[in-house]
Amino acid sequence: MLTYTLRRLLILIVMVIVITFLVYLGLELTPGDAVSFMLNPDDIAGLSVEKMEDLREALGLNDPFLGRYFKWLAGVSRGNFGYSLASGVAIKDIVFDRLPATLELSFIALLFSTLFGSIFGCLSALSKGSLADNALTVISMIGVSIPQFFFGLVAIVVFAFRLEWLPVGGRLMPGYATYWDRLPHLILPALVLAAALTASVMRYARSSMLDSLNKDYIKTARSKGLPEWRVNLMHGFRVAMTPVVVLIGFRLPSLIGGSVVIEQVFQWPGIGSEFVSAVKGQNYPLVMMIAFFFVLIVLISSFLVDLFTALLDPRVKLA
Amino acid sequence: MKKTNILALLLVLILLPAVIWAGGGGEATTKELKGLNTNPLSDYRVRQAIAYAIDMDTVVDTLLEGKARVADSMVPPGPWKPEGLNPYGYNPNKAKQLLKEAGWDANYTLDVVFYYGDQLTVDFMTAVQSYLSAVGMKIKFRKLEGDLKALLWTRPEDPVNGPAAIAWDLCYGASGPLVMQDFYGQYSTGAAGNSHTPSNPELDALLAAAKSSPNIDTQIKAMHEVQKNCNEYLPMIPLFYLELYIFESNKVNRKGAPYGNEGWNYDWKILDWEVTPDAKGRQVLQTDGAPVEFFQEPWYVAGKTYNRFMFDQLIRADAAMLPVKGALAAEYKVGADGKSLTLTLRDGIKWHDGSAITAEDIKWSIEYSLKVPAIQAMFSQTFKSLEGAKAFIAGSADGISGITIQGKSITLKFSELDPFMLTTFSQWSPLPKKYFEKSDPLKFQQQSFWQRPVGSGPFKIDKVEMNDYTTLVPFEAYYGGSPKIHEIVLYPSGENEGDVAKYAQVGKLDYGSTKSLSVVKDLEAMSHIRVTPVSIPLTRFFVVNKFPKK
Repeated sequence: MLTYTLRRLLILIVMVIVITFLVYLGLELTPGDAVSFMLNPDDIAGLSVEKMEDLREALGLNDPFLGRYFKWLAGVSRGNFGYSLASGVAIKDIVFDRLPATLELSFIALLFSTLFGSIFGCLSALSKGSLADNALTVISMIGVSIPQFFFGLVAIVVFAFRLEWLPVGGRLMPGYATYWDRLPHLILPALVLAAALTASVMRYARSSMLDSLNKDYIKTARSKGLPEWRVNLMHGFRVAMTPVVVLIGFRLPSLIGGSVVIEQVFQWPGIGSEFVSAVKGQNYPLVMMIAFFFVLIVLISSFLVDLFTALLDPRVKLA
Repeated sequence: MKKTNILALLLVLILLPAVIWAGGGGEATTKELKGLNTNPLSDYRVRQAIAYAIDMDTVVDTLLEGKARVADSMVPPGPWKPEGLNPYGYNPNKAKQLLKEAGWDANYTLDVVFYYGDQLTVDFMTAVQSYLSAVGMKIKFRKLEGDLKALLWTRPEDPVNGPAAIAWDLCYGASGPLVMQDFYGQYSTGAAGNSHTPSNPELDALLAAAKSSPNIDTQIKAMHEVQKNCNEYLPMIPLFYLELYIFESNKVNRKGAPYGNEGWNYDWKILDWEVTPDAKGRQVLQTDGAPVEFFQEPWYVAGKTYNRFMFDQLIRADAAMLPVKGALAAEYKVGADGKSLTLTLRDGIKWHDGSAITAEDIKWSIEYSLKVPAIQAMFSQTFKSLEGAKAFIAGSADGISGITIQGKSITLKFSELDPFMLTTFSQWSPLPKKYFEKSDPLKFQQQSFWQRPVGSGPFKIDKVEMNDYTTLVPFEAYYGGSPKIHEIVLYPSGENEGDVAKYAQVGKLDYGSTKSLSVVKDLEAMSHIRVTPVSIPLTRFFVVNKFPKK
């Protein structure tokens, strides 16, 4: 186990370096730089070219490509994440400011989707061919097919404009003192984000449960005279959850990164929308740091999936 | 004289005009602009043909849904525009005839660029492509990405003969300066951003005349001549004038305050505004444009909504943007020759942190303005015209010698006439020196000051939740008195234009302004929102590259 963990950690470090370098290379190949995006195109004709160059120099944008990358890497290894080129704010402050909003949204969505996806998927499998099974299958198909932004807009029209039950967007408003004050703002984006994942978890759980119910060990359990609920829950459900956990584990990073669309639709001030702004503005230290963070989450999730798979499925051994 | 010498002389006399015509010869007068060089667009008949070929009336009626006006000059309608300009109404036959006269090569493909990301721009480009195709002109259009300053406005090394340092033929852009002369500023020889127009002494003289007098009537008369010249020879092709739309909810009562150009500062009488009180009896005004990562500095974006609430100017402009009275300066006096200005600060004026606004703050702010990377061109022009500004910029002087302080008075002496100095001081806001003393001016916008700026205007910052909301409250020491509004809440606008309509729909926006036609359409459909169109100088046009291409 220790050897396995150390080996994975080593791979993780190499992967981080390779992926962040590729992200850096991608940014370098993109036309323009941070200075180009700081100014309104309609107002730049009369600006001094020399001053723009001086600003580039002051921000370190004229340094050689590899030099800038290794400077960034060295900074990160010392815990210095740098400063936003646009605002001069420390990047760790931006990340720590925005990350809680995204984590809040993602974990609520993950919780909803895991809970409802697993339960409905298994119920669907247990009542295979029934009206309930068919209805759940259709619902899950719809959930997977509808784009998130469209689902979000429909939710806003219905729940914010028509019914006026929930706010149209945002996260904090003046006068909010407790978490409960801002909870209504979380409901719509979290449910919309959860919807697509619930549908895919449901489909996975259903097919996995059906597969599991046909296995020999289920027949053995039944032949031993165990009650049906216990056969389904302890023997069927537990094994059926293995691929579902893999799916959920791999969805966690994409859920955080994929919340970009939802954050834009609901003006949710998370790390996803910050990432989009940073990429558009060629704010490379910020892009690099957020990308670094995403890479870490993906790699750590992958590691955790392996661990959980081994715990859930006795046939899997870590080596 | 020998026969061979006579023949050589004759040959030179014959070839010389041809060489000049082909682009090898010096500056051209306007009348010579028929094929100034190898670039077909250097022939004004080709530019006229483009203007005749595009049916702008139909474009305005259909694509722009009637929410724009066809332009025949860069300057919008009003006293600054002369009567009788050629409107270049849709006339494809005339366009074809002009192209034939100019010897247009039907195989040449015009490279048209733009930098806006909206669908309307693409639709307009498609329409232009269709119109020009109908008169035998091929075009391709593309969106420019990257370093736009370099791609659009890099000047050629030789401002007379080029070749161009840019690759495009036409660029679709917009211009909305505060002073009408700035519509044409970049068309003079060697001007910053003149990547497109070869030296034309006649136009240079007309432009210089428009800036040579502090007298408004003289300026207007000179500007009429500039426009007549440009209307005939089209160094740029004006397309349409846009309007600004100010929207207010039925909770807002401006108490008769005028509507003006919300992109700049004017006397909008914000102290008088009233908002229907909420359940707690407080007047809360909700608006958009809250900062997402930092407050944008007011020397580059003077008219940003929060800047207009938080920063004051030395002189106040009226709704017509004319400087009319003192603001932070109790009084101001222009010297008889128009080359000096004395500003006397009010007694007891303070920054939002409670410290006094001093004449030294004003002097320092002017000097610092010349060191920061981005500043409005009008401000820069005024400050560069000060005596000793050149030495200060070059680093050979510690300060600008043309600025002297005596108590509360600041006297500015100009080495050359700047007819817009009063307008500059009606828009430019001084900043508190103490927060920037040890900072790098190149990283002006990156200073921590812009996370929570200290201003001088009628409202100060109460709370900043970056990217969530910002609240402003009345500044108790404001010299003009106390506003009736108790609190201003600003929400971020987001990158999606539709967010404005969304927030207005649910009652989260009481006031704002937009130039987006789709947003205006949505706002007009809301019964609790009133929309007021305001004519502002904002012209969409084609910049035409007339330098020979490499």
